Parts: sequence; structure tokens; C-alpha cells
Amino acid sequence: MRLTKISALAAAAFFTVSIAACGSSSDDSSGAAAPAAAPSPMMSSAAPETMTNFGPGCSAVPTDESNPGSFASMAKVPVATAASGNPVLSTLVAAVKQANLVDSLNTAPDLTVFAPANSAFDKIPAADLKKVLADKKTLTSILTFHVVPGKLTPEQLAGTHKTLEGGSLTVEGSGEMFKVDGTSAVVCGNVQTANATVYIIDTVLMPKK
Amino acid sequence: MRRTGSSAVLGVLAAAAGVAVGELLAAATRPPAGPLVAVGGAIIDATPTPVKEFAVRELGTADKPVLLGSIGVVLVVFAAVVGLLTARRWWFGIVGAGILGVAGAGAALSRPAAGIYDAVPSLLAAAVAGVLLVGAARRVPAVAASPAASALGKPSRVLVDRRAFLQAAAVIAGGTVAAGGAAAVVKRARGGAVTASRAAIKLPAAADPAKPLPTGVGPGFVTPNAGFYRVDTALTVPRIDVDSWRLRVHGMVGREQTLSFADLLDRPLIERVITLNCVSNEVGGPYIGTARWLGVPLAPLLREVGIDPGADQLVARSAEGMTIGTPTATVLDGRDAMLCVGMNGEPLPLEHGFPVRMLTPGLFGYAGACKWVTELELTTFAEFDAYWVRRGWAAQAPVKTASRIDRPQPFAEVPAGDATIAGVAWAQGRGIRTVEVRVDDGSWQRADLLPTPSTDTWVQWRLPWKPAAGPHTLTVRATDDTGAVQPEARVTPFPSGATGWHGITVTVT
Repeated sequence: MRLTKISALAAAAFFTVSIAACGSSSDDSSGAAAPAAAPSPMMSSAAPETMTNFGPGCSAVPTDESNPGSFASMAKVPVATAASGNPVLSTLVAAVKQANLVDSLNTAPDLTVFAPANSAFDKIPAADLKKVLADKKTLTSILTFHVVPGKLTPEQLAGTHKTLEGGSLTVEGSGEMFKVDGTSAVVCGNVQTANATVYIIDTVLMPKK
Repeated sequence: MRRTGSSAVLGVLAAAAGVAVGELLAAATRPPAGPLVAVGGAIIDATPTPVKEFAVRELGTADKPVLLGSIGVVLVVFAAVVGLLTARRWWFGIVGAGILGVAGAGAALSRPAAGIYDAVPSLLAAAVAGVLLVGAARRVPAVAASPAASALGKPSRVLVDRRAFLQAAAVIAGGTVAAGGAAAVVKRARGGAVTASRAAIKLPAAADPAKPLPTGVGPGFVTPNAGFYRVDTALTVPRIDVDSWRLRVHGMVGREQTLSFADLLDRPLIERVITLNCVSNEVGGPYIGTARWLGVPLAPLLREVGIDPGADQLVARSAEGMTIGTPTATVLDGRDAMLCVGMNGEPLPLEHGFPVRMLTPGLFGYAGACKWVTELELTTFAEFDAYWVRRGWAAQAPVKTASRIDRPQPFAEVPAGDATIAGVAWAQGRGIRTVEVRVDDGSWQRADLLPTPSTDTWVQWRLPWKPAAGPHTLTVRATDDTGAVQPEARVTPFPSGATGWHGITVTVT
């Protein structure tokens, strides 16, 4: 659990830096290393409705909107792009690429994504994980089981939601403590990207057969 | 009651009433012609740049209230003196009001986009002030010298009927408050002054209008202004007063030139349907749109000022300091590079660069489409790196051939039966030759291309599809009119625009 929290914290922090650098402010953030970290001509008018993030993984993120590392800046790139610069979500990103879902996730209008951190994938035996990654059909159904149409606010989160895979997942909890399908804890919630609200979770979800 | 004080007060009140009435007329008919704003604008224009910079530095955003306050103080002092003089000779009131009227009218007429009507609010203000002042001076006559003062042998003081003075003052003050209040209400109702000046613009017809869209163009070919993407660094949308807006063309030119908005509109305008897109658009992303643009062709304007042959870069500078560098050769190569004043039949929306933006078909926006432009400088790429180039983006930024699936949407559930896959493809300047779609790992199928007005716009495409049930991946690629196939390899938008084939997943039920 501790490891999960730390990785989630790192995830949120890195997420923020890599994405925020693409924000619109005129601050020169060229100190960031990755090409994706170069500041980019971006939307300046996107104003997410809610900026209240929660969870142990979120506390390191600046709240000042003018700070390029803020959630406000992060809200300006689509979800798969937002995740792709993030080493702690690298397994998820690799799986998304493998399943050819990058564009679908980036260009769908409004989504809620339950994003498993790398530590969540680490709980799956290596041989099984390798097998799943090689099986595009199974991989696609697992990944789309983590995506719900529409942007769910924390207030709307508890309940049963039909996923893009077709099956439903159930979220229990309230306030800042949520569990998905009874096993997977939300470690950083209500993260805004341009087209999706993201909840980082600590266990990979499995579609019901 | 002493006449000195009452006369000064009446002078100030009459002037205030006149200004209030003038402002009311201007607010209701033509906001930039308001006496105070006109005088303020004229003073700002006449102020040397170092003084302006000092004012901005020392006063910050208070510079404009301080300016208007100073104008108010000068006006009060002047009106008080005129009031005093009018008590002795009535025609001083007429002369004083006349001086104010001429000053206000002169200032209003000096504004760049002014017409003869712009003098009217100031002249009305002067007429009202003059009539009120002279009328009040007559209704509040001197009544008697102070007997006590005379008895003591001091210089006699002229007194006035206190009751008559208070009545006259109350009437004028009441009228001033009513007119001033009404002016404020009207101004608010019309939105900010900039919004109002934008609304007041009547764009001339294009000397060279866009041809009507070819028949068969699909819905959504032209993007409505409200839905047009916006990518810029402006934290707040610049609100530029069109009357004081200037475009300075300078640098490596034979003859530096400064143009007003009216100067631009006096030139022959062209109208073109052009697709504009942002370099930071992801594969399949939304930062692209097509509009009918009205503007002044840039090439003849630049040739008039005389371009130094060594000036290989044209740097456009915006009111908020953005710099955008465009190859001079690109602007001069015959494409419809222009200074836009109109978008889809209306003046540029504030957030799209009002009053003037640049547009260079075939280049990404960051390399050719400066909004809120106020300066064009001829220079060299060796000499100057524009804003995004300093941040690592490519200095040369022609648009890359790209295509996008719009229907069905990603993750959509498509009913089995007859379906259509549809979207857009673009390669501005080169044009699109073919668009092909692949379902899963099948063979590439040619989509139907809908007609376009020119190669400077996107192409709408569609492909009938009879899908089998289950999940499917749809992929699209385009070939431009040089025969080059859109690259499959994924690259990020940084530093010169994304590449890759847009592919989405849908489920047929």
C-alpha cells in the first residue's frame, strides 16, 4: 500500500510537470527535459468545471492556476497524451498503444478513465501480464473496461457505471475514499485532462465474464 | 451669498451637465465619440512614448483612470473660471463653452476611424453647457452689495439671491446626474466600449469575393465562429480600441509605414475560405477550423513599403507581445496571405484577434497567423527568433498532410446495417488527392471526396460501410496532390506538428 501511495504521488507529480509544460502560459519552462515538455501553443480558454482533486497522490500538485505545474495546465491536453509522458503510468500507456487505443482515448468527447498505476500491473504475475499484452482482443476489453462514457465528478462517482467494454463496474465510497469493484482504491482522484476525468487506481480491474 | 463662489459652482455644474449630455448621445450612437474618451485618446496619442512608458510603469493599470481624472480636474478649473467671467459678461459663457466644444470635437475628429459625426457629441455638450451657464447667470442676478462691508469701507462684495442660486444649481445638478446615469446605463447595455466599437464596424464588401461554396459541400465545412478553436497565450483577451489601433510596418523596408484601421479598409479587400490549424493538434485532434476570411492581401502592401532583398523573415507582433515569424518568400509567393478584418461575415471576434490578425494559408498558426497584430517587422531568421522558436519549435512550419475520422466517434456503438465512415483531410496549399480507410487489418478503401473551393481548405470525405458485428478498428490516411502519402510514423506535435494515421475503435452491435 505504501509503495502504491508513493508511486501514485510520483505519478501525479510527474503527470503534472510533463503535461503542464505544454500549457499556455508564457513562462519559459524549457528546463524540462523531454520533448513533450516543451511549452506548446495550447488552448488558453479551456476552463475545467471542477479543479478539486483528492487523494494522497494529489497533494504535491500546485493549486495556483498560473503555475505551469498546476492541474489547470494539465487540463489542456487529451488523456492519452497526458499519460504518455508519465513513467509511473508507463505500463498502462504501453498497453494502450499495444491495443491501438491512443487516438480513441484522445479524441473521444467526454470520458472517465480509471487509470491503473504501474504498481497495479505489478500485482499481476509477469507471465500473465505478458500474455495479456500479446492478446489484443483481451487487452482491448480489459482496457475499455477502465473507461466510462461522460466525465464523472466525485459526487457522481459512487454507483454502478456501464463501461466502454460493455460490462459495468461499481464504485463504493464517498468524499475522498473510493473503491472500484471492491478491490481497487482510488489513490488520486478527479484529475482533469482536456477530454477526460482521471481516477488513478492501485489495482487493475477485470471485466466480468 | 457671495457671487464669486456661486458663479464658479454654476460654471462647473453647467460644464458637467454638458459633458453628461454629450456622453449620453455618444453612448447611444457612437461610443468612441464621447467627449472624455476622445480627449483622453488624443492625449494618449500625443504623449511621447517615454512619458507613456513612465505612466504605465509608475501608475500601472491606474494610468487610464489617472488620465481621465486629470482631464476632469482641468475641466473643473476651466469651467469655474468661465463661470466667474460669465457673471460679469454673459458672453464669456458662450466663448468658454465654445472653446471646450472645439477642443472635444477636434479630439474626436482626430481619432483614426472618425467620421464627421464624431464632432457632434462634443458640440452638443458645449451647446448645453453654454446655454445652461448663461441662463443660470441671468436667473441668479446680483442682488445687493453687503451693507456691512460697505459701511466698513472694505471693497464691496457682490451677493446673489441664495434661493435662486440653489434652485438653478439643483436643476442643473439633477439634469447632470440623470444624463450621466443614463449614459452609464446605455454604455453598460451596449457592452464594453471595444465590443461597441466592434459592433459599429461596417466591413466593406470584398473587391475580390470568395466564390460560392461548390454544390455538394457537406454540413460543417465552414466552422462557426463560436466553435472555432482558440489557441494562444493571452491570459485575458486583448480588448483593442479600433480607433486607436495602428499597424506599423518597419524594419528592413524602404519606407516605414503606419496604417490605421480605416487605412486598411480603404484598400481592396479579398475574401477567401481557408482552413487554419494549430501545430499542437494531436493526431485526430480538434485544433482545426475553416472560415470565410475577409482581409487585405499582404504581398502588395509589403511591396509598397519596399522590402530589403535580405529580409527573409516577416515578424508579426501582437498587442500583448506575441511574436510570430513567417518566411517573407512564403508571404510573397502568390498565396492568399492577408491581414484579416472579417471572419464568416462579421468583424473578427475579440478572441480571434480583433481588430486585425494575420493569416498565411499553408502554415501552422504559430508561424503565420498572429492575432491582435500591431506591428510587421521585416528582418532575418538569423537576426530574430520568434516566441515559439525561442521555445524550441521549428522556425519553418508548413502544415503536414493529415486526416481525421469524425464519424463514428471513438468507442461508439454502431448499429449493424448500412453505416458511413466520414471525416476530413487537409494539406493546405498542396491539396488532397485521395483519402483511404482501412477497417481492422483489411485492405485500404478509397473514400469519396466532397468538393472544395480551393486547395487551401480541408476536404470532407466519406465511405459507405456494411460492418460485421463486433469491435472494429478504423484507420484513415490521406495522400496529398504531390502524391506523398501521409506518414504513418507517430511523432509528437513538438517541434513541427504531429504525424501518424488516426485510428479509432468502435463496436458494431
